Amino acid sequence: MASRQHRENALLASPLVLFLLLILGFPTVLSLIYGFSETSFETLMQPQFSGLQNFRDVLGDPTFWQAAGFSLRFGLITAVLQCALGLALAVYLAPLVRAHPWTVAILIIPMIVAPAMMGLMYRLVLHEFAGPLPHYLYQWFGWSPSFLGPAHVFKTVVLAETLQWTPFAFLLFLTAYQSIPSELREAASVDGARPLRLFWKIEWPLMLPTVFVALFIRFIDGFRVFDNIYTLVGSGPGGSTTSMSIYIYETFLRRGEIGKAMAAAILLFLTAFLLLALGQWLTRRRRP
Amino acid sequence: MKIRHNLRAGVAALALVAAGSVQAEVTVLGWPGGPEEAALRAVTEIYNAKADVAEENKVELLFTSRDGFFDKLQVDLAAGSTAFDLNLIATYSIGRYAPYMEPVTLSDQAGTVFGDTVLKTMQFDGKQYGVPTDLSLHFLYYRTDLIDALLADDAAKAKYSEIAQQHLGKAMEPKAPADWTWEDFVANALYFSQSVNPDSPTRYGTVIQAKNLLFNMMVFHSWPRSYGGNWMDDAGNITVDSEAFRTALSQAKLLFDLGATPPDSTSYEYAEANAAYASGQVAAMVQWNAAAGELTAAQAATGTTAPPAGPEGKFTHIHGLGLGLNKAAENKDGAIAFLQWLSTEEAALAYAKAGGAPGLAADTAAKLAADRPDLVQVGDYASNFGFVMNGGTSEKALSVYEAQAKEFTGFWAGTQDLDTALKNATAAMSELLK
Repeated sequence: MASRQHRENALLASPLVLFLLLILGFPTVLSLIYGFSETSFETLMQPQFSGLQNFRDVLGDPTFWQAAGFSLRFGLITAVLQCALGLALAVYLAPLVRAHPWTVAILIIPMIVAPAMMGLMYRLVLHEFAGPLPHYLYQWFGWSPSFLGPAHVFKTVVLAETLQWTPFAFLLFLTAYQSIPSELREAASVDGARPLRLFWKIEWPLMLPTVFVALFIRFIDGFRVFDNIYTLVGSGPGGSTTSMSIYIYETFLRRGEIGKAMAAAILLFLTAFLLLALGQWLTRRRRP
Repeated sequence: MKIRHNLRAGVAALALVAAGSVQAEVTVLGWPGGPEEAALRAVTEIYNAKADVAEENKVELLFTSRDGFFDKLQVDLAAGSTAFDLNLIATYSIGRYAPYMEPVTLSDQAGTVFGDTVLKTMQFDGKQYGVPTDLSLHFLYYRTDLIDALLADDAAKAKYSEIAQQHLGKAMEPKAPADWTWEDFVANALYFSQSVNPDSPTRYGTVIQAKNLLFNMMVFHSWPRSYGGNWMDDAGNITVDSEAFRTALSQAKLLFDLGATPPDSTSYEYAEANAAYASGQVAAMVQWNAAAGELTAAQAATGTTAPPAGPEGKFTHIHGLGLGLNKAAENKDGAIAFLQWLSTEEAALAYAKAGGAPGLAADTAAKLAADRPDLVQVGDYASNFGFVMNGGTSEKALSVYEAQAKEFTGFWAGTQDLDTALKNATAAMSELLK
């Protein structure tokens, strides 16, 4: 009986497995082949095995480490900002959302916009001569910061990413917050706990696993950022806004170093995978 | 009954789709946005309206975004895409795309319409890979009202001289833009910048489009070239770490440091730089000739002349855009017929009248003197000041521009010093041009 059920499960799962193998497996295998080969656009069909040479080239490339540093900094800062803001909004707006559930739709609008479009939008909005923001700052104060200049560009891209993806963290935290049993809150209130103490002693510990998950997801998303930065400022003067994904894109398409780009992509994948595994392990450890 | 009816309708629809796919057309992947797209649309309409153009050879246009255009084209061509029969090529990218394209024979009129110099912008290894549609070079755009006022005011001249003395180490006199050296360009930019001269009528003296982008290096190259700079010497040695490049890069850096170009201009490309000039807050700029219509429409008091001179004279980067034949094209006969028509005088004149900027021989350009006087200017500057850097048409030319863009913009933005920028550029170019 169990064996029959096992066969049925396998049969039912097979279309999905086949689909995943086709969609994800083929490019993964191709990336692995190219990552260990010397390949250019002219020799796409005849890659020459080159062992670990591409990985040595990537790890010896200062631009790779510059991109890794940017991605790490960007991923960490945006993840912390998004989670902090998302958590604050979820707790603060929970009563409003409970009374008017449709407000969630408004709050998540930034998340619906394609990141590339968001980058283009900010490129227009922040332009000193065409953008409304600098225009009004000049009109009212006679001065405007150069949002996309070397001094402020990092802060600007961090802000853009934070504004777009805070709603994602907000949704996660709102779900976690609303799933806390009301009896716990009622019992704490009966015992005289004030709202701040209720949050720190009851709600925060119960939401902590969600905070970890949100931090990891947002960090990985920030670490591999591409669209909005690339459309907003490109790879930046001197490569100053080159993320890991932009590095891979430019190595692949601009310089035609396909093997090296694939090696960097494999390293990026391994980093993300290890971080996710670490996050999962930490979450499991916390469970009683 | 209803199911059978629906099935019949479905089969009929599929048959229609299949019939449509058999009816081949000539698909052209053009340069999106700007006057090139408008001109290509106009001549395509004329061509498709011709009675002798068969239905299956009518031309359809395909446009993607300019962002990453050449990267996407690279992938499409390398993958043997049949999505287009003809595609855009540029002088600096022919070597890169030649393996995926086929040489073409143009019409008998091509030599007299364009002239040999312009036809050569579409050649690689002695073979013609496309029909030249647009010739690109640079103009110095300047506000005639501001310059005239400066030249007529003794107090303003004294202030100009004082600023030049303070920042360039010598007391300079303002001149007419046609006589400018690059030092005059810098002095003028400083005078018209409110960060240096609070009484300036404009916020900035110039705008340098300095995004880390290969096209921006093309705009910059006229500057070091006029000081004798080149990518390589005749023996193939990389010569970018030279006094010429050092001087030009340092002069531009001075403009960034003193606020004579918008601080955001390290994120500017063509459109942003034009918007800055069009706002009336910039006194002069070096920009592509294609911007002439847009900039003069926005600022009526705009004059154009060749870029400033250096010790070696005046120079302007020059390259051609054109259309060539995809090796994997499905309708090669129809595509070649369109290319041959594009290289006739009829097509070139129509293209120019619709806003394009073909590089025309003097006799052909003369027929447009009333409608497009700028094309006469383009032809004049191309023949007298046009240059291509040594190695500028090589297979890796685009990558060289990109390597320089990364290093030079880093220097201008202050993320690295001049020695590091030139050392890195030399190392990258040595690898790419070996």
